[in-house]
Amino acid sequence: MKAPLIHRSPMPGLGLSMGITLTMLSLVVLIPIGALLLKGASYGPAGIWETVNRPRVWAALFLSFRLSLVAALFNLVFGVLLAWVLVRYRFPGRRLLDAAVDLPFALPTAVAGISLTALYAPTGAFGSLADQIGWKIAYTQWGILIALIFVGLPFVARTVQPVIEEIEREVEEASATLGASRLYTLRHVILPMLMPAALTGFALALARAVGEYGSVIFIAGNIPLVTEIAPLLIIIQLEEFNYDAAAAIGIAMLLISFALLLAINLIQVWSRRRIGHV
Amino acid sequence: MHIEIDAISKSFGATAALHPVSLAIPSGALVALLGPSGSGKTTLLRILGGLEYPTSGRVLFDGQDATGLTVQQRRAGFVFQSYALFRHMTVFDNIAYGLNARPRGTRPPKAEVARRVTNLLDLIQLPDIGSRYPSQLSGGQRQRVALARALAIEPRMLLLDEPFGALDAKVRKELRQGLRDIHDTTGLTTIFVTHDQDEAMELADLVVVMSGSQSGGRIEQIGKPQDIRARPASAFVRDFIAA
Amino acid sequence: MSDATFRPATEETPLARRLLITLVVLGLGLLVLAPLVVVFVEALRQGVGEALASLTHRDAWAAIRLTLTIAAISVPLNAIFGVAAAWFITKFDFRGKAVLITLIDLPFSVSPVVAGLCIVLTFGANTAIGGWLVGQGYPIVFAMPGIILATMFVTFPFVARELIPVMIEQGRTEEEAALTLGAGGWRVFWTVTLPNIRWALLYGVLLCNARAMGEFGAVAVVSGKIRGQTATIPTTIEMLYQEYLSVAAFTLAAVLALLALVTLLLKTLLELRHADQLAATHRH
Repeated sequence: MKAPLIHRSPMPGLGLSMGITLTMLSLVVLIPIGALLLKGASYGPAGIWETVNRPRVWAALFLSFRLSLVAALFNLVFGVLLAWVLVRYRFPGRRLLDAAVDLPFALPTAVAGISLTALYAPTGAFGSLADQIGWKIAYTQWGILIALIFVGLPFVARTVQPVIEEIEREVEEASATLGASRLYTLRHVILPMLMPAALTGFALALARAVGEYGSVIFIAGNIPLVTEIAPLLIIIQLEEFNYDAAAAIGIAMLLISFALLLAINLIQVWSRRRIGHV
Repeated sequence: MHIEIDAISKSFGATAALHPVSLAIPSGALVALLGPSGSGKTTLLRILGGLEYPTSGRVLFDGQDATGLTVQQRRAGFVFQSYALFRHMTVFDNIAYGLNARPRGTRPPKAEVARRVTNLLDLIQLPDIGSRYPSQLSGGQRQRVALARALAIEPRMLLLDEPFGALDAKVRKELRQGLRDIHDTTGLTTIFVTHDQDEAMELADLVVVMSGSQSGGRIEQIGKPQDIRARPASAFVRDFIAA
Repeated sequence: MSDATFRPATEETPLARRLLITLVVLGLGLLVLAPLVVVFVEALRQGVGEALASLTHRDAWAAIRLTLTIAAISVPLNAIFGVAAAWFITKFDFRGKAVLITLIDLPFSVSPVVAGLCIVLTFGANTAIGGWLVGQGYPIVFAMPGIILATMFVTFPFVARELIPVMIEQGRTEEEAALTLGAGGWRVFWTVTLPNIRWALLYGVLLCNARAMGEFGAVAVVSGKIRGQTATIPTTIEMLYQEYLSVAAFTLAAVLALLALVTLLLKTLLELRHADQLAATHRH
C-alpha cells in the first residue's frame, strides 16, 4: 500500500504550519525563481543561447567559473589543513582562530570588498609589497581570486571539522599497530574519511564563489572580457533595461547553481551508502 | 615469543592507572587479563602494544628490552574493542592493509598479498566477504575480520581488548572457540583482556586476575584456571571468580 | 628514556605540528584578519572625530535607519517562517520532505544578483503584478517592499536550518506528553517546544540578522540605490567609496564590521554554553 501523502496525527498545527511554510516559500522563493524560468521559457532556448553565445557573456561566465574553481580548490586544501589544526592541536589563540574562520560568513560582502581592495591596491599594505616585484593584484584577475578565496574559506573547514572530531582514535591506532607510518595513516585512513565532507564543502564554496558580487566588484576592475564577472553583466543588462538578456544570463547562472546543488546531494547519498554516514 | 613485564607502572597525570606489576608470559600461551573496570588491564595491554608508554618499568620480548620500540616496530597484532575496521575500505583491503603499508623494499607483490588475504579469510571461515564493506557485516563477522587483519602482518604476539564484549551470547561462544582454534593453529603468544570470568576460565591457559585501587591496578593472582578456582589467593579473587 | 620523548600513535611529529600551525595562522592572518584590520585603519585614517562626523551625515543616517527597518521587518518574518517550517517538517510525516528541505535551502545556492533579478522579474513595473501594484501606489521594485523581499530571499533558510536538526533530535515525545495532559496546540508550543529550541532560534536569528543587514548584491539590483530613500548601508558604502569619500565609506563599513564581530561573539558564546541545544553539525 502506498504511503499516504500526509500521515494523520494528533499533533496540532498542521494546517497553520503547512500554510505558512508553503505560502511564504512560494511567495519569497518559488514564484520569483519561477518568474525567471518563465521569462527564459518565453525567450526560448534559441533566444537564450543567442544571448549567452556572445564573447562578452562567455568571457564573464567562463571567468567567474574558472576563478571560482581555483579559489575553491585552494580552499579545499587549506580548509582541510585548517580543520585539522583547529581540532587536533592545542596552541595559544586557538579559540580566537576558530572564531575568525567564520568571519567571511559574518562580514558583509561590501565591507569585505572595499577592505580587500584597500589592502591589495598598489597603495595598500600588501599591494605595495607586491607592486615592488611587479605583481599587480587589485583590478586584475588575481584580485578577484583573492576575494573569492576569502568568501569561500569557511566552507570546507566547517564541513570537515565535525568529521575530524568524530574520528575514532582506535582506527588511527589500529593503522599504527599494523605497521603504517603516520604519513601513510594520514593518506590512506584519515583523508578518505574526510573526503565526502571536504568535497561537499568544496562544492558549497564553488557555488558561493560563482555567484559572488559584493566582495568582488570593487577589486575586480570590471573590464569586459578580462575582469568582468557574470553577476556584473546581469546588472549592466538590467540598467539598460535588457530584461531578456539579463534573464538569459541569470538562467545560465541558475543552471550552474542547480548542477552544483545536485552534485552535493549525490556526494552525500554516495557517501552514506558507502561508509554509512557523511 | 616470550614476554616479560618488569615492574611496569602507569600514571595519567595525578591518576594512577597501574601499580608496578610484573609478569612473565611463556611463549605460545593464551593468557587472560581478567578483572573489573578500573583494574588497569586495558592499560597494561596497550603498553604491551606500544600505544601507551609506561611511567616506569620495562617490557622484554624474548629477553630483549622492547620498551623503546615504536608501535610500528613492535609487530603486535592488536584487536580493538570496537574492532576499528577502516570503514571506507573493503574487507580485502582492510586485511591487506598492514602488508600494503610496508615500505617499498619489504612490501610483498600484489599476487602474494592476495594469496595471504585469501588464506586468512579461509582461516576465519569467511571466504566470500572480501569485497564487502564493514558496514555490511554483522558484529561477529567484523570481529573476525579485525582478527584476520591483525594476523596478516605476521605478528609476534596477538593482543585483544575485550574481543567478545559487544556480541550476543551465541556469537560469543562461537568466536571463543574460533579464537582458541586460531591460537592453536598459529602458536602465537596471545593475550586478551576481559571482565567476564567464564570467558577467561574457559579459554585461557593462564589467567591473570587484576583489581583496581587508589594507587592503580595490581595483579592479585596468576595461574592456571583450575588452580585459581581451587586456591584463590585473596578474598577479592574468591569473590570475583564466584560472581 | 623519559615520557617526554614518547609520541602517541595518533600524533604527528612536533616539527610537522609546528609547521602546520604556523602555516594555518599565517594563512588566516593574511586572508581573513588583515582585511578586518584594514576596515578600521582606513576608517580612522583622519582620526576618530572625522570618522564619527561622517556618520552623522544625512545619507549615512538615512541608510542606517533604512537598514535597521529592513532588518526589523525581514528577520522576524523569516523567523516565523523558520519556526513554522521546522514544526511542519519535524512534527509530521509526509512524502516529499527531502524535496521541501532542498527548496528551502535553494536561496543558499543562488547568486544574490540572480535573486534580485528574480524579484525584479516578478514584481517589476513592467510585469503584470508589479504594474498593477505601482498603479495602486504600492511599488515593490525600487522601493522598500522590494528590498524586504530580496533580503528575505537571501536570508530565507537561516532560521529553518538551525531549528530542523535540533527539533529532529529532540523528537516529539514531550509535545505528545503535553497533549495527553490536556494542553492545547498553542500552549504546547509556547510552554514545551519554544523553551527547548530557544537557543537554536536565537542562533538562527543572529545569523539571519547579520546577513540581512549586510546584504549587498540582491539589494543593489532591487533598490535602485536611491540616495536617502532606498539606499541601505551596504549600497551607501559603495556610493561613498565610488565618490572617493574613503573615510565615510570605511566608517560605515566599520559599523557593519563591528556588528559582524558582535554576531561572532554571541554566536561563540551560544556554542560554548548551549552546544547541546544547537544544530548538531553545522553545514553552511
